[in-house]
Amino acid sequence: MPLGQKVIVVGGGHNGLIAAFYLAKGGFKPLVLERRGMVGGGAVTEEFHPGFRVSSLAHTLGPLREDIAADLQVEKFDCEILRPDPRMFAPTADGRAILFYDDVHKTAGGIARISAKDGEQYPKFAKALEEVAGVFAQLSLITPPAIDKPTPEDLWNLLKTGRGVRKLGKKRIFDLLRWGPMAAADFAAEFFETELIRAVIAARGIFGTALGPWSAGSTAVLLMRAAADANPVGSAAFVRGGLGKFTNALAEAARAAGAEIRTNAEVAQIRMKDGAVTGVVLADGDEIAAEAVVSGADPKRTFFNLVDATQLDPRFAMRIKNFRMNGTVAKVNLALGDLPAFPALAGTVGPDGFRSALSGRIHIGPEIDYLEKAFDASKYGGYAASPYLEMTIPTILDPALAPEGKHVASVYVQFAPYKLKNGNWETQRKELGQTVMKTLAQYAPNLPSLVEGMQVITPKDLETEYGFTGGHIFHGELALDQIFTMRPVLDWARYKTPIRGLFLCGNGTHPGNGLTGASGANAAKEIIHELR
Amino acid sequence: MGQHYDAIVIGGGHNGLTNAAYLAKAGKKVCVLERRHVLGGAAVTEEIIPGFLFSECSYVVSLLRPEIIRELDLPRHGLEILPLDGTFTPMPSGDYLWRMNDHGRTVREIRRHSRIDAEAYEEFSKMMTPMCRFVKPILSMIPPDPTTLKPKDLKQLHFLLQRFRDLSSDERYTLVQLMTMSAADFLDQWFETDVLKATMSASGIIGTFLGIRSPGTAYVLLHHYMGEIDGAFRSWGFSRGGTGAISNAIAAAAREAGVEIRTKAGVAKILVKNGRVRGVALTSGEELTANVVSSSVDPHLTFEKFLEPNELPGEFLQDVKRYKFRGSSGKVNLALDGLPELKCMPGEGPHLRGAISISPGVEYMERGYDDAKYGHYSRRPYVDMVIPSLTDPSVAPPGKHVMSCFVQYAPYKLAEGSWDEQREAFGDNVIDTLSEYMPNLKKIIVGRQVLTPLDLEREFGLTQGNIFQGELSLEQLFFLRPVPGWAYYKTPVANLYMCGSATHPGGGIMAAPGRIASQVILKNWKRAN
Repeated sequence: MPLGQKVIVVGGGHNGLIAAFYLAKGGFKPLVLERRGMVGGGAVTEEFHPGFRVSSLAHTLGPLREDIAADLQVEKFDCEILRPDPRMFAPTADGRAILFYDDVHKTAGGIARISAKDGEQYPKFAKALEEVAGVFAQLSLITPPAIDKPTPEDLWNLLKTGRGVRKLGKKRIFDLLRWGPMAAADFAAEFFETELIRAVIAARGIFGTALGPWSAGSTAVLLMRAAADANPVGSAAFVRGGLGKFTNALAEAARAAGAEIRTNAEVAQIRMKDGAVTGVVLADGDEIAAEAVVSGADPKRTFFNLVDATQLDPRFAMRIKNFRMNGTVAKVNLALGDLPAFPALAGTVGPDGFRSALSGRIHIGPEIDYLEKAFDASKYGGYAASPYLEMTIPTILDPALAPEGKHVASVYVQFAPYKLKNGNWETQRKELGQTVMKTLAQYAPNLPSLVEGMQVITPKDLETEYGFTGGHIFHGELALDQIFTMRPVLDWARYKTPIRGLFLCGNGTHPGNGLTGASGANAAKEIIHELR
Repeated sequence: MGQHYDAIVIGGGHNGLTNAAYLAKAGKKVCVLERRHVLGGAAVTEEIIPGFLFSECSYVVSLLRPEIIRELDLPRHGLEILPLDGTFTPMPSGDYLWRMNDHGRTVREIRRHSRIDAEAYEEFSKMMTPMCRFVKPILSMIPPDPTTLKPKDLKQLHFLLQRFRDLSSDERYTLVQLMTMSAADFLDQWFETDVLKATMSASGIIGTFLGIRSPGTAYVLLHHYMGEIDGAFRSWGFSRGGTGAISNAIAAAAREAGVEIRTKAGVAKILVKNGRVRGVALTSGEELTANVVSSSVDPHLTFEKFLEPNELPGEFLQDVKRYKFRGSSGKVNLALDGLPELKCMPGEGPHLRGAISISPGVEYMERGYDDAKYGHYSRRPYVDMVIPSLTDPSVAPPGKHVMSCFVQYAPYKLAEGSWDEQREAFGDNVIDTLSEYMPNLKKIIVGRQVLTPLDLEREFGLTQGNIFQGELSLEQLFFLRPVPGWAYYKTPVANLYMCGSATHPGGGIMAAPGRIASQVILKNWKRAN
């Protein structure tokens, strides 16, 4: 395919935009088609209550993989990244709390006040995590190898990874093999004795998944995330003006590189002939011809909604059908008249420290069993009376999101199953909101009285409004059988699909790990290689 | 100073006896030391109620390696395997699911529940065969060390990779899923009938502290599926005289090879001198010396009880402490003066001769696990029942019967109370559960034995009551079993070896660990002595 050819990118989410950027750099003419009125997909800023704006879904950065950040240089496009320190505040209902800072030893100091042993363990844990995360970071850079006929590049990548692994030394290699399939609860317990710390650490292995801390394999998810940021609690990075500003900057970077981006342009169908892509049809009937289409949409949407499924190889279709992507996450955004007061902070920081203590992520899930019980309910199609919550109050660092002196709180709710046993999400919407308020009130009693407005985004909304099939925010369950060479399915984990000219670049592909841009960048590399 | 042997084997279970038999056949002077008054460990038959012979712990022969039956000539030593035909699952609705060894009949039966599943079942069976073929040689191999570049290990790893690459795409797809998925998720892809999925997934949780929705259970499902795949019912069945008869047959083979077997000879200490094993000290105070000691008991007993901390590397000891037992099952053995009447299929019949599985639904199974997670035995447990006396009348008085009930979950660590307080309540709960399907059960019980995880630990030496000497979870399999770097039957103490279910390929009456360990011991003999 000659350079300068048009490549259509379906979906203006962060992976689609990053893919478009690299395709443009690679000499192609990407055209990004976004269904909604704004780019960003799961990373957008919207006004949910008069005068109150928030990052409706994702509320912190991945963060962006370093090489990608360096290539796109988003800060050049009006995107100021705000880094709270502490990154996380984790309270218990009975008034204890731990703050997790960038500085491991500062954090350890705070932990030591609750448990001297855990205080000592924390730096060791951080180090162990950093060591093994290196391997996963290496893996997130590469296209999963072809099993039958590995290309020279595959072999080279595997060799590099192999070297990285061997550098770990015998003990760590065994740790890696042991930890991967383990339950995050067991993993955390290997290092820590305090429930609160165990819960905070384990939570990273279950966020956004249909796994509880006692589910085997949740440690693999945790380690994959550590690859993006080796800090034990992960990243907490905001963007001034919300994450919409971030994806707008991605769009600007892509445009600057030569990409064209259209919003309010819903792709209704991906056209194909004789097993090859010929273009797309928009919802308004317009047809755009192209020899290559890159889908940022999730695998099920791509193959069952956009492509004529009857033209798929039944074996492939079966595997895509088996791809598990029933979401467990809901989102509640609150407009607050003032900053909520957390009594647990009184014993933790001085009065001056209150604001900064709340400026990062707030973890509600003080015990392993608490998290597990929140998960249990979802197995039977319900949600727990005390769900696992992750809240941020972005207005502390970015007051402009709300009217003078007021605040917004952005709350992730787990576990909220896509399929409810009783009723549907329309009837449950209100209750879910109330459940979240009741839960938060146990940690910040005055919070309910501060609420001026509330938006509840149910798993169903995630599907209908934001296009996540099954409401799964990661475009598919992160589990041992759906990662690396199995993401989305074995034999087709290299961004190519059985349809000539059709590629995937979304989170449904390796490494598919939130707002890191890795899927988009890796895909673009393969696509350019394929099309040239 | 007591007697001297070439090798002492600690524990007279099926693995210890197998290990001893092979060592003796190689011309070594071997002694087996068993703490209890009977041989067999968890493969034991005892007359708990006068006239009734209970297979107290393990109750069916699943995976006893054919090569061992052959090499030790076990049939000549009294081993006789009787067919165990099918699994019968009664349902609260009054219906049932009956899977038989006759594939055709099973498919017809499944068609009653779902046409789609009947077709899928054909496919499924076809697919499982190459899966088992893939795993089988692994069951007889010494795990390679994945961290070295030694040719030997690389060769084995390459052998595995090559075998994987030889599979068809669909076979690879399925194998990867079996190695990583939960039994329930895996079966969801194949079947729609709830009771079918529940009953099949049950074999994925046996001996683990995992639920059918926990990743890793699909592998255990395969582990248990292999018996059936062996085709000939040699692999799934009762042994005449109870599972103890298997141990006795192996013991007879061992004795014939010259092994000295001592019961009521509990080991107190393993004697070590400058990093080399010297022998053992018995609880009686008697000391026996040997060039080699091979322990078939679990790592906790071998390394934390029989050895002093200073005799082992700190890191190794730490890994041993980390090894997960987490017993999750109990056993209720019943003496009956009649046959239970199944609500859904009254009267005597072939359905009583197979396994009867209380696994009516996926949610039922998962809720049973939830109870256990928080330290309570399942309020409505999964029960796997057999009535061996129907197939082997020798285990009960004429007209009377024994019924063996395997119960999961029964967590070793209870949130409230102790197992000694809870034992009878636990037993009653099982009987109540069964009575919902067998209304006449309570009337025909003339005696019962309830074994809690604590009993399994105290009486049978299974730490924390884990029937496989340690969880069969992914992080404790193959080259990670029992602990990383020591999955090769050797230990940090020179000439001290492991040969029990805590080593690859793990639990079940397979005897593979005992056999592979003997090969390792003999291979190292010259170098070591």
